[in-house]
Amino acid sequence: MNVGVAHSEVNPNTRVMNSRGMWLTYALGVGMLHIVLLSIPFFSVPVAWTLTNVIHNLGMYVFLHAVKGTPFETPDQGKARLLTHWEQLDYGVQFTSSRKFFTISPIILYFLTSFYTKYDPTHFVLNTASLLTVLIPKLPQLHGVRIFGINKY
Amino acid sequence: INHFVHNGGLYKRPFNEAFEETPMLVAVLTYVGYGVLTLFGYLRDFMRQWKIEKCQNATEREEQKDFVPLYQDFENFYNRNLYMRIRDSWNRPICSVPGAKVDMMERVSHDYNWTFTYTGRVIKDIINMGSYNYLGFAQKSGPCQEAAAKVLSQYGAGVCSTRQEMGNLDKHEELEKLVARFLGVESAMAYGMGFATNSMNIPALVGKGCLILSDELNHASLVLGARLSGATIRIFKHNNMPSLEKLLKDAIVHGQPRTRRPWKKILILVEGIYSMEGSIVRLPEVIALKKKYKSYLYLDEAHSIGALGPSGRGVVEYFGLSPEDVDVMMGTFTKSFGAAGGYIGGKKELIDYLRTYSHSAAYATSMSPPVVEQIITSIKCIMGEDGTTVGEARVQQLAENTRYFRRRLKEMGFIIYGNEDSPVVPLMLYMPAKIGAFGREMLKRNIGVVVVGFPATPIIESRARFCLSAAHTKEMLDTALKEINEVGDLLQLKYSRRRLVPLLDRPFDETTYEETED
Repeated sequence: MNVGVAHSEVNPNTRVMNSRGMWLTYALGVGMLHIVLLSIPFFSVPVAWTLTNVIHNLGMYVFLHAVKGTPFETPDQGKARLLTHWEQLDYGVQFTSSRKFFTISPIILYFLTSFYTKYDPTHFVLNTASLLTVLIPKLPQLHGVRIFGINKY
Repeated sequence: INHFVHNGGLYKRPFNEAFEETPMLVAVLTYVGYGVLTLFGYLRDFMRQWKIEKCQNATEREEQKDFVPLYQDFENFYNRNLYMRIRDSWNRPICSVPGAKVDMMERVSHDYNWTFTYTGRVIKDIINMGSYNYLGFAQKSGPCQEAAAKVLSQYGAGVCSTRQEMGNLDKHEELEKLVARFLGVESAMAYGMGFATNSMNIPALVGKGCLILSDELNHASLVLGARLSGATIRIFKHNNMPSLEKLLKDAIVHGQPRTRRPWKKILILVEGIYSMEGSIVRLPEVIALKKKYKSYLYLDEAHSIGALGPSGRGVVEYFGLSPEDVDVMMGTFTKSFGAAGGYIGGKKELIDYLRTYSHSAAYATSMSPPVVEQIITSIKCIMGEDGTTVGEARVQQLAENTRYFRRRLKEMGFIIYGNEDSPVVPLMLYMPAKIGAFGREMLKRNIGVVVVGFPATPIIESRARFCLSAAHTKEMLDTALKEINEVGDLLQLKYSRRRLVPLLDRPFDETTYEETED
């Protein structure tokens, strides 16, 4: 029963995104990914930006909206086992600062990508589709919703 | 930081507590470390699933593949991929009494900590910085041990009955009178298990319709007791008096959630010393608030009894307050007295009520007589009633050790949490790899330490915790400090920028969200 624990937090996953330095690490991580993609000589600048956007959204979708539960045992008797990390943030309270930050950052990345790809139609379709996969699960109306039963258990 | 004249002179001595903030670079690197470990964890899980690597974990049998799984394997992710890598820093088998020095069986692992084999060698005389041996009563020879051995031959090993049936010995009555005298309260009751004292007695004191205000970093036993009682629980920020006052005001003004009726009872749960942070509760302010808003105070002195105060009577004596202000004084015998069990002290009506209604009194076996004798002898030693000044010397030695150790560590440049007078010293490590490295390097240099990481602590606050003891001589401390200095240079642990952040470091208006049961 968490003997020797330094806090009475039932699910530490809810507070990870609020910890000191997490937002900065996330921004630096995205920056690093972009620099790595820009250094590959085969990719032009628009391709590198689209790839950054797509890979970032893919990673965000997998870690925040696809993986369910916690990687450690929690004393809450499995309340969080069927919830994705996004749904676990701050125990389900909507519009907290972490949620706002992680909603706005893909949008900003999308703006930058659209600018640097010069609004080319193919890139536009790809980027917009990818942005939608990451924005729609964050809507409060979709809290706990599993469309067609995908990823339910 | 001197808060001597702060708070209207409630404090008679300086209250120096500091929690230096994590340097931003260290926080970023810690997250990168956990990120890398997570990615490698996914990679290894992938390899194990596709049978490229042998899976050493317990797996379901072939015949049960189509059944509903018993365990979720994602819940075990942290255990498999992070904890297993550094598992050799925990559960180390010792083979002598854990006093100031301890012997340990050496074990090696040839498959990265999945299995251990004993080499057969015994590592002798490891300086023990991990036991809660504050006054050094964990000995295998001495007056306590002789008295306990005598009582063992006289009374036997156990009573096999509860206090209310056949298990109430005259030794128990003697112990309870002695504990009451030691604490300065009217009456006390002793139980066989410290954890059970909290978890079984809080439900006897509060119930539905009562309010419990509990500190953020309270121990699991207090949390369990509060949850079992059925009362509403509200959490205030660690040691933060404005937060507690706000909660008290809101509770009294608004009453119970839907009916707006007044609360039947408001109970404030705090601990004397918080063992993971090394901080001491701000007892004068808590008592002032308690009197102002007419609520009750439950003080858990598990780590502070015997360890604080000029004569070892705990945190109430440390602040120079009267024990009558604290309604329920709870403590354990496990830490400073070298025994096992817990006690609750307070007014006679309260303890008589607990003797009848407490779960431990009615259902749990009473304490074993040799253990009771150990406690009686050690309390008499601390009070000086056995005719020597050994007890007083131990209390003073502990205070000197604490001051010396903390001062030297701060001078070396480590980040140390907590109050300057608390014998629990958490040294911040932050990064996950350094947790394992610190534990192993210290063992190589013959010092045993306790290291803690996520999820037991917040994600960026992994630490090594030293527990000082009156049994540590100055030479032992100097050796330990020299080795810590070397390891600190080797692992680059000296993060402190010598800027002591003020006491209300964790900002009050940062909102955190709790699980609500509405």
